[in-house]
This record gives sequence, structure tokens and C-alpha cells, in this order.
Amino acid sequence: MNTLNTCNVSLEQANLLVGFLEAGQQEKADELVAEIQNPINTELFAEIGKLTRQLHDSLINFQLDSRISDLTTADIPDAKERLNYVITCTEEAANKTMDAVEAVFPVMDTIQQQIQTVNPPWSKLINNKLELSEFKSLCIDIDILLTNTDKQADNMRGLMTDVLMAQGFQDITGQVIRKVIDLVREVEDSLICMLTAFGISEDKTLERPRPTLGDNLIEGPIINTKGRDDVVENQDDVDDLLSSLGF
Amino acid sequence: MDKNMKVLVVDDFSTMRRIVKNLLRDLGFSNISEADDGSSALPMLQNGDFDFVVTDWNMPGMQGIDLLKAIRADANLAHIPVLLITAEAKKEQIVMAAQAGVNGYIVKPFTAGTLKNKLEKIFERLG
Repeated sequence: MNTLNTCNVSLEQANLLVGFLEAGQQEKADELVAEIQNPINTELFAEIGKLTRQLHDSLINFQLDSRISDLTTADIPDAKERLNYVITCTEEAANKTMDAVEAVFPVMDTIQQQIQTVNPPWSKLINNKLELSEFKSLCIDIDILLTNTDKQADNMRGLMTDVLMAQGFQDITGQVIRKVIDLVREVEDSLICMLTAFGISEDKTLERPRPTLGDNLIEGPIINTKGRDDVVENQDDVDDLLSSLGF
Repeated sequence: MDKNMKVLVVDDFSTMRRIVKNLLRDLGFSNISEADDGSSALPMLQNGDFDFVVTDWNMPGMQGIDLLKAIRADANLAHIPVLLITAEAKKEQIVMAAQAGVNGYIVKPFTAGTLKNKLEKIFERLG
């Protein structure tokens, strides 16, 4: 814009203008003034013209960038669906795992109970203190224990395989989430482009703003506690804080 | 600690309720009910004779901290001990919970040992 200010009126032109006015030659004076201003106008118009063209091109490009409309109409709804799928997948896996674990608990209880039944007479037998009549019932209990343990070993192997297979969710959800991360990155790039087009640049000197919080300072799980002194890192920190409050 | 006490587990994720229920069962508690947020938990508490509440903080509807405040504000419920199990880990929030009258605060992810330890402490303090 500085170039616009370099077109100064010369002393010569000023004298000429005064001469015209004194001689009552108004038309000539006006012409001279227009002539003096002309270079300014030309540059100004050129500048405005350039800006208009740029704005025009930007708007055209903006409309033509079908990727942006694809992002909003297709990719983002698709990402929502994908993330919901991750929730479903992980929930199913957690439930399948817990089904198996909950099925194992009573099996363990039964085996432990049968061992506890056998143990006292067994110790007596080892120490040669078992009566013949007790021996008979010990044999029956050991038979039950052996049969049951053998059968339950197969059962537990099956349940443990279920637990193993339920972990397959990690591969699927990993792929889905990676795709959503790529999308988020693309949206971020588009937004930065848009801001740049409108002449808003990132102010690197400003402190990076924190994500917005919900009611009661809700933030959800904190992924990175490094560099933050407003959060606790583990249960020990919680306990220390509470005890400092007199808990 | 009376293992027959009536416990209410409040969490919007059914898997987390299931985990907590299993851990409590392993500790000998068998009288356990479930609710999926504060607004469904509160009427259950008002209509039932619950002895203990284990709740998450971040839930749609009524949050755990607001459930805690509601319990403390209700003369019939104010005596019920409340344990928060939450991923919310800001110091300000822990102070907020303490001021609201929480009996214990566990941050996720947590272990079975931590839950056992906190339960024992809560009931030891209550006598």
C-alpha cells in the first residue's frame, strides 16, 4: 500500500494549478487535479481488481472442492457409524470374555470343594490313620474328583478358547479407528486451508487451548498426564490428595 | 462389614457394571442391584433400603457427582456411603467430590485390590 503514497504533487504542478485557478481556468485546473490523482487511482484499482479476482477464484475453488462436501455428507456420517461399531465390538468382546470367566468360577468352586472333601481322609491315609470304613468313602470321593476334573478340564479349555477368540476385536477396531484418525486429519487440513484462505493464520505464540469441558469439569479419561499439574496420575495421587484434605 | 448389605452399582456401561458386580461378588457381596445413571438410581434408592452405592461419575442423564449431592441432600438417604469409581482425574473434581461428601474415590483403570482396600476402609471408618 506504500506505493500509493509515493505519488506526491510536485511544486511545478502546484504552481501550474494555482496559475490556472488565478486565471479562472477552472476546467484546466480540474483536469490537472485528475491527472495528479490518476496514478493513485490506477494502482488502487489494480489492487482492488487483483483482490476481487483472488476472492472470486477462492470462492470458485471452494465450491469446486467436492472433497469438502463429500467429507460432510459421506465420510463424517460414515465415521460416526464406524465409531459406534467400535463400541459394539468392544462391548461384545467384553461380554463374551466375562461370560467365559463367569462360567469358570463355579467350575473352580466345585473342584476346590471336592478337593477339600478328599483332603482330610487323604492326610489320614498318608499318616496311616485311616479306618477301613473311611477308605471306602475316600475312594468314592477321589473317583468323583478325578472324573469331574477331567470333564471340567475340557470345559475350561473351551471357555479359555472363547476368551482368546474374543480378543479378535482389537484387530478390527484398530483398523476402524485408524481410518477415522485419517479422516480427522483430513478435516483438520481442510479447516487449516480454509482459515489460510481467509487470511487467518495460526498464532504459535498463544498457549494451546484445552479441549472443552462438560458439566462438573467432565473431561473423560486423561490420555496424557505429562505436563499437566491439574490432574492425578494414579490411585496413590488420589489417596494423597484426599488425605491432605483430612480424609 | 455385613456381606448381606444391599448394594447399588451405577454405571452407564453394562460391562463396567458387570465387572464391579463380579468383583463385589468375589468379595462376598451377593445382594447387588444395577442402575445405568443417576436419574434411574435415585428413585431406586428412595424406594429401596440400600446400604451402599458404587457409582461412576460421567454418565448421560444425571452424573455421579449430582447423584452424590442428591443423596446427601435427602434426609432418608444421607447416611448411605458412596464410592465413586471414575475416569475423571482432575484434582479439582476430587476436591469437589470430597466436599460433596464422598466416602471413597477410585480412578479408572483400577484393580480388584484397590476396590477391596477402599471398601474395607469405608466400612472401618463407619464402624
